[in-house]
Amino acid sequence: MLWLCIQLPTLPLEVLTRTLKAGKQTGALGVVEQQRIVARNRPAAERGVAVGLSSATARARNRGLHLLQRDRAQEQQQLAQLARWSYRFTPLVSAQAAGPIRDGDSRPACLLLELSGSLKTNGGLRALLDQVQQTLAQMSLSGFMGLGQSPSAARLLSQLPAHRRWLAQAHTVPSPQQWQQWIGTAPSKLLDCDHHTITQLYACGIRQVRQLRTMPLSEVTSRFGRSFVEYFTRLNGSRQDPVSSDHPPAQYPTALYFRRPPEHSEPLQFPANHLLRALYQQLQRRQCYPRQLHWQRDFGRGRSHSYTGAVSRAPLASQRLLALTRRQREQAAPEPVRTLRLTCSQPEPPAEEKPAEALFNQGSQALLNKLKARLGHQALSTIALTGSGLPEQTWQRAGISSLPGNGAQKCPPPPPCHPPRPNWLLPRPSPLPHRGHKLFYRGELQLLQGPEKIDGYWWQHGHHSRDYYMARDKDGGLYWVFQDLTSRAWFLQGIFS
Amino acid sequence: MGSTINLQQDRDPDKRPEYRRIDTASPPTAGGRECSGIPTGYASLDALLPQRGWPRGASTELLPKGAGIGEFSLLLPTLARLTRCGGQVLLVNPPWAPFAPALARSGIALDKLWLVHPRGPQNTRWAIEQSLCSGSCAALVSWQGHHTFTNKHLQRLQLAAQRGNCLHFHFRPHTESLSPSPASLRLQLHSNGAQLVLERLQQPGGASGRRLSLARAAYPAHCAQPLH
Repeated sequence: MLWLCIQLPTLPLEVLTRTLKAGKQTGALGVVEQQRIVARNRPAAERGVAVGLSSATARARNRGLHLLQRDRAQEQQQLAQLARWSYRFTPLVSAQAAGPIRDGDSRPACLLLELSGSLKTNGGLRALLDQVQQTLAQMSLSGFMGLGQSPSAARLLSQLPAHRRWLAQAHTVPSPQQWQQWIGTAPSKLLDCDHHTITQLYACGIRQVRQLRTMPLSEVTSRFGRSFVEYFTRLNGSRQDPVSSDHPPAQYPTALYFRRPPEHSEPLQFPANHLLRALYQQLQRRQCYPRQLHWQRDFGRGRSHSYTGAVSRAPLASQRLLALTRRQREQAAPEPVRTLRLTCSQPEPPAEEKPAEALFNQGSQALLNKLKARLGHQALSTIALTGSGLPEQTWQRAGISSLPGNGAQKCPPPPPCHPPRPNWLLPRPSPLPHRGHKLFYRGELQLLQGPEKIDGYWWQHGHHSRDYYMARDKDGGLYWVFQDLTSRAWFLQGIFS
Repeated sequence: MGSTINLQQDRDPDKRPEYRRIDTASPPTAGGRECSGIPTGYASLDALLPQRGWPRGASTELLPKGAGIGEFSLLLPTLARLTRCGGQVLLVNPPWAPFAPALARSGIALDKLWLVHPRGPQNTRWAIEQSLCSGSCAALVSWQGHHTFTNKHLQRLQLAAQRGNCLHFHFRPHTESLSPSPASLRLQLHSNGAQLVLERLQQPGGASGRRLSLARAAYPAHCAQPLH
């Protein structure tokens, strides 16, 4: 196992300073929770403001200090976003939120990634670490990283300056001896335990972890407790070190808020593209494809406009997703759009199909998506045989959700020969006027062939029995008409087109 | 004047020419005439048409005089062969619902048949054009219905069919026979009792006025006496 720990000690400050104006960002800033400083920026640190100070002391040391209230919800959101992004490297991602404040200090938020299976795919350790650092910079986050054989070791080593210096230039995974050496030289204060235990360790003269290794385990247990020993064995790798694994959510709601709402629909293309790209990456990670994309334009004061784009099969690129709902988005908005939301419902894993079929169906899928996007689901359908009985019960219309395989292999042989049937069927039998012994439909009809008796099922409501005839009009058009044997009324049902 | 051929015999699988895929077939020649068309399923109709079949990658206009004269049955052998070879066939704006048992009996693979019902003329024209030029559609049958298709619109469809190498059949009302059209082939259809009469209309590079009568498969061989 190879775990990467990304510690984010300044996350409380970074999620809050993003929305501040440039002038305020350069001044001394601190974030407080329960009247204690939990994070501060460089100007504040230079003026003696340290983490753990009470807000009153911090203000006394620096009169110009601007204090912000901690927002844990925003931190959680940012951490979840980072975890979703990390899911591209490995399925084992664990986002650990910042711990509560104890003794004026709190454990910072961190992200743990298991990388042993993804080094080769991502071009090696160096390339992967560079990619992580670049993304952190793009998200305006600063953190420090550590690599270890277990999550606890990675967390400890991420705080060790010697290890961080090595990691800044590392190209290969170190040997097990190297891990042990780093852990051994780590100061005891970096161990993930409470202040009381650390004080005890220093009181016993244990300043480095290597000193603990020389002690018998029973002795360590009696002095520092069972929970400390469990942690210590996890750190050394002699015991499993499980962490909770995060998975991307099944639903994908996301939104962009505009501080200055755009007046026209054109400027919305860029943010829409951004949302779709993020969704596409998410779907790619989960190896799913969406059934529907829901867009919502919020105009404020409870007014909004929403539209849905249907997707029939996994699209190949985010550009295709973008094209699917472009037309609806381009429609002029009645008012400036304040919020643009994108929701994806019912993501499904793609159905397994043979490569040849996939290639064959690719073009048809693209066409189906395009037609559905503009015309809607209800505009496209297919027909299928259902059974026997009355003509209207022998077939049904069905929506096209996905493409079947190549019809050349799956098509059943045509049924045996029967009396001729019309190509078209009216949506419902149309009553035919009759006067005397004559039937009329666009002129007088002449019966040519019949009767052919067709019965409905006796157990169905309104059991029908009908006599069918082929009829001809004066222009030579052939029709399928029947007489209902119960009501004796005549109806037109089909056309021999 | 044309000759009358029994459709049932003409559509015998043993007698009809072997189907060739649109993209792979090479145009053979017969009697010095290029045979680049898609076989219609009726040997006599193939002989009437300039390319010995339906023109490839082009629009064919069908102008029936009234409904129920066998105008759609004319296309069934071609559509059946295309769908059974895995080709996608679209029916855009059909006047009624296709009766699945009848189509299945004609040999059409129903899972390869899509029905498209766009709302409004603009969406109809867009759907036809996009499907034709997509390259993934073997044949498209469209009905003009009550919508208006100007010469410019029809030109766009003709170009789209050419670009997508798609077989396009466009049903227009009989009254449009005097309107100009860029279609490669125009056939006027009417019924002559038990027969479907096809007449080729004048088009650039082709002769006009040639007629052919095809016996209708659905028409009963022996008409019953008046039943009431």
